Amino acid sequence: MDLDLSDDQQLLRDTSARFIEDRCPLPHVRELAASADGVDPTYGRQAADLGWYSLLVDEEHGGGSVSGKSFADAAIVALERGRYLQPGAFVPGNVVAWALAHYGNDEQQAKVLPAVIAGERVATWAAADSSGSWEPGAGATVEPTGSGLRLAGAKGLVQDAHLAEWLLVTAASPTGLTQLLVPAGAPGVEIVRLDGLDITRRFCTVRFSGVELTPADVVGELGGAAAGIDREMQVAAVLTLAESIGAMDQDFTVALDYAKVRTAFGRPIGSFQAMKHMLADTSLLLESSKAIVTAAIEALDEEAENAAEVVSMAKAYVGDSAIELAQNCFQTFGGIGFTWEHDQHLYLRRLTADSSLYGEPAWHRERIWQLYGL
Amino acid sequence: MSANDLEEYRLTARKWLEGNLERRDPDVGPSLRGVDHKTVEGIALERVIQRKVFDAGYAGITWPTEYGGQSLTPAHEAVFNEESRPFRTADFGVAGGTTMGVCARTMLVHASPDFLRRHIPRILAGEELWVQFFSEPGAGSDLAGITTRATRDGEEWILSGSKIWSSGAYYADYGMCLSRTDWDVPKHRGLTWFGVKVDLPGVTVQPVREINGDAEFCQEFFDDVRLSEADVIGEVNRGWTVAQTMLVFERGGSDSGEVRPRPTRPKGLAPDLVALARRAGRDKEPYVRQQVARAHINDFAAAQLARRVGGLIRTGRGNPAGVASYGKLATGTFGALRARIGMEIGRGGALVWEPGQLDGMAPSVTYLNGRLGGIAGGTNEMQRNGIGERVLDLPREPSFDTNRPFNEVVRAAANWTGATGSA
Repeated sequence: MDLDLSDDQQLLRDTSARFIEDRCPLPHVRELAASADGVDPTYGRQAADLGWYSLLVDEEHGGGSVSGKSFADAAIVALERGRYLQPGAFVPGNVVAWALAHYGNDEQQAKVLPAVIAGERVATWAAADSSGSWEPGAGATVEPTGSGLRLAGAKGLVQDAHLAEWLLVTAASPTGLTQLLVPAGAPGVEIVRLDGLDITRRFCTVRFSGVELTPADVVGELGGAAAGIDREMQVAAVLTLAESIGAMDQDFTVALDYAKVRTAFGRPIGSFQAMKHMLADTSLLLESSKAIVTAAIEALDEEAENAAEVVSMAKAYVGDSAIELAQNCFQTFGGIGFTWEHDQHLYLRRLTADSSLYGEPAWHRERIWQLYGL
Repeated sequence: MSANDLEEYRLTARKWLEGNLERRDPDVGPSLRGVDHKTVEGIALERVIQRKVFDAGYAGITWPTEYGGQSLTPAHEAVFNEESRPFRTADFGVAGGTTMGVCARTMLVHASPDFLRRHIPRILAGEELWVQFFSEPGAGSDLAGITTRATRDGEEWILSGSKIWSSGAYYADYGMCLSRTDWDVPKHRGLTWFGVKVDLPGVTVQPVREINGDAEFCQEFFDDVRLSEADVIGEVNRGWTVAQTMLVFERGGSDSGEVRPRPTRPKGLAPDLVALARRAGRDKEPYVRQQVARAHINDFAAAQLARRVGGLIRTGRGNPAGVASYGKLATGTFGALRARIGMEIGRGGALVWEPGQLDGMAPSVTYLNGRLGGIAGGTNEMQRNGIGERVLDLPREPSFDTNRPFNEVVRAAANWTGATGSA
């Protein structure tokens, strides 16, 4: 997507691509899709060795980007992951790592962050409520009790919570938005693994029935997490966007190749204007999506004043474009796209889920008005 | 060239501008096509301004000194453009952009040194405005299918036929005219370009009244117009090569073939549409907010796409003419959509207005102009063909017109049966 990769960035891309090809190509993605857990246990550790969970964390906290532009670097990995629909909580795991590095207390940074960066333990982000609303803090409330805190409510669309050691939970408190690092095994935490449209990933609902916590479990300030949650939404959105671009690129490439070799009425179907024009429109969606995601990545790396708006514009634009692209690819494949063996449906499932995760297009469009104070 | 030279150039330019040009009225926004009508008298005043700029050495900054330019770097030009922005420079309307951005640039690539010496200095001085005599009533997207003919007559050429969609021809001095000079070869191989002075005997320029009520486009009729060999631009019968160059410039390409990048940061949420929604009292309606944001995001996506297309060309990742079609197709599709959104959210306030009220008529005029981007300069369908065949490498359609004499093509099209190949 980025047209000017440095040597180090190319190395990161190549090692990530090779790892995916060796360790988790599409046939293996299908095997995992058929399994209960959805991820095999050693994959995350091996991926962490390539730096997948350290790119957004500064060196002081055990991380490091390869180019100094941490979001550009993480997007390189995300793009390769998306291309072959990689499983695992790459996006929420990186959000947690980023959040702990920025807002975590000493103990969280000393004990939890290194385990996440090393891929030894899974940490995931619980931001939406169980209906899929991404309003900050939706679904959960935290209240002070004498000496501690009590968390109640339910969170939804929490990726890989069933494998997680920790959950970073966003919640409303009497004094404002709060984030808590909750051990997944704490009494009162109930994790329900769900089936879903996107069979290449696992999502859970997590219920909190009066979970007792202490102030040491708070990430950042009690009641002061609004800005942090906003930034985390941007991080999650941009990484998801980069994964979507990889998936869009691959889905389109395969559909385009098919249009050149499939013949009907004595010609390759791609020679018909009806097909050619649909594919040209689809490729415009892909190129403009790459362009707008590049702008979103730059906005985060440059800490641009309007980063929130640019990210929302990209998430809204690509959220719609990706689904249209997947639908057009489906139409190009025709009947074969409706078969389970063909990979097309895996891309359709993934891209449709990506569109909704971390804010669906309509949510981001409304948010742009709000960012302008209108 | 050092940074010091540029800084000195900047200061000299600033001083000259302050001493010689008026400041631009900051309240005058970009003109609305169909409302801001240029007159021959108005253009004469603009020519005076351009002459001043030329005499001071600020016209054709990067163009060769041999042809009246300054042979300086693009950096100098960028400095002058930046400094001159607050000042009232010459505004020749659409024909100004065509003269400098399309015709002159194409001439610099293809015309003879004699031709360039005769015309480029006068163009830079504001004495010659050039428009394109390119499309015809019977040939738009299929440009190589034009039927205006130029026939040799001894040392001269005789031009006959008709051209249309020449912007601002009624106040221009010359047209760059594509004509057919050989009918017995395939369509792309019998074309030649001429420079045609609009006041020659036999040339009639007639404004075409547009759907927005204005008449900026023109149609020309050529009744046995006599031209000389010196009027030929490029080589006889090799006009298609010249046309290709012209099309790249027309799509916003620069001399290096790169597409000019647009600004990358939005300047507020689609101000025109937000104002429209407010006037209609609908800026809190979720549906209206969604539509406005959609238009705003498409604007941003198109700007980022232009950046990306520039990058693809710069890094040699795409056929420049092919990838330039992305930008054109984005404009051609988003433009019409945005205009419809304006009408939709403006409701009654976009349908009727107090006579002469510019704010009131803007949505309607924009709506009527909304399909221009998808038709003018190559339809959306042509861009899709270009992307499909030049970028995506999809197999071509069967062709009925590229490999046989143009004469035959015209006859076969008139007797079309749908039968192909051998009977």
